[in-house]
Amino acid sequence: MPAWAGPVTRYVAEGLLTTVTLAAVSVVVSVLLGTALGALLTLPSRPVRIVVRAHVEIWRGLPIIVTLFFIFFVLPVIGLGFGTFVAAAIGLCLWGSANVAEIVRGAVQSVPRGQADAAAALGFPWPGRMRHVIFPQAARRVLPPLVGLVVNLVQQTSLAAVIGLLDVLQASQRSIERLTLSSGETHAVPILGSVLAVFFVICLPLTILSRRLERRLH
Amino acid sequence: MVMTDGYRFDAGFVFSHLGELGNGLLRTLAISAIGMAGALVVGVSLGALCALRVPVVRQLTRAYVEVFRNTPLLVQIFFLYFALPDAGVKLSAFTVGWLSLVLWGGAYNVENFRAGFEAVQPGYVEASRALGFPVLAAFRRVVLPLGWRIALPSVTNTQVSVFKNSSFMIAISYPELTETAINIVSVRFRVFEMFIAIGVVYLALVWLTSMGARSVERRFAIPGGL
Repeated sequence: MPAWAGPVTRYVAEGLLTTVTLAAVSVVVSVLLGTALGALLTLPSRPVRIVVRAHVEIWRGLPIIVTLFFIFFVLPVIGLGFGTFVAAAIGLCLWGSANVAEIVRGAVQSVPRGQADAAAALGFPWPGRMRHVIFPQAARRVLPPLVGLVVNLVQQTSLAAVIGLLDVLQASQRSIERLTLSSGETHAVPILGSVLAVFFVICLPLTILSRRLERRLH
Repeated sequence: MVMTDGYRFDAGFVFSHLGELGNGLLRTLAISAIGMAGALVVGVSLGALCALRVPVVRQLTRAYVEVFRNTPLLVQIFFLYFALPDAGVKLSAFTVGWLSLVLWGGAYNVENFRAGFEAVQPGYVEASRALGFPVLAAFRRVVLPLGWRIALPSVTNTQVSVFKNSSFMIAISYPELTETAINIVSVRFRVFEMFIAIGVVYLALVWLTSMGARSVERRFAIPGGL
């Protein structure tokens, strides 16, 4: 390994740790919050559905970059300032939970109507119908797109670099700048190539898992 | 409207920068349009070659799709813009802008179209082959017209993402809508008005695109389903 590679690897590895932490937080919060929002979307109450639908459409529709800038630069104006990590996590969770909500709603509504009707005829009240009949069947259909979304969320963490979080991408970018200043050579191909490889190694197994789960459904 | 630190809401600020923002929006629309059109062409053609099981091409396409779907678009953009010059390929920010969107969106669309083509009932293909259609004609006249309709909803998702992801070009300072807004804001600190304005523009265009796609879906729906 050439002499420049050692310090760069250590620096980028620290960034990778931040990336992995951000991804883990975003995935967990998005799944929990998104499932709750998705369940609300299947409620019979119209006002609840309209409010949740508006929330989901806004955060799904906005480019994540715009959301991140909004949280990082705009919210401090009304006294809500966050550090880069928290701002990035909030932005990713808003986007992630909105997408999880859509997946959950789709899965619940894909369970044939007859199932709910039959459960109602057997005397199950609405909560029991959801808990014992609809959710167990919907859960199988949620899994493949949910794993796909996790892959997406892991990749979107790289956007945190744009608001200045020292993640794996920001660390490699700074390394390239430093190497350019000190030696005149960027070494951008091996450095950015490694970042691509790291994401590939994390995401490919999840993509394959998602495809397997999908195939098992049919 | 007064906020903390005496910040005053001033909608007129956005209008005084309408010219610059309009130019930014045009650039966003330009790279998005090329990106979406290119992603469609890549998706249909390579998706067809995969569904037809053309050897070698199919394996190469597989590799392309897996690499571009399993790495972040932002890192791909960085690679094209910052690393390729070391390998002797220097691309302008505009070229990286549309090219990265074509490559990324194309990879997703290959999957969308391949799945659509393969979801066409095998019986239809067998029937057309039995009637004497050569393989390519059977594909063009039976699989393609049915398959693209099946693929349409997921293709729409990808196309909308391509449009939204044109905002990633802020990372290479290409002055599209988001970058233009940031530049204006960094000189004149009116962040609130600016971000609400560009947020509304993005949402309106996203909704317009999905509504357009839905009307295409209805217009070309086959009576009685597929």
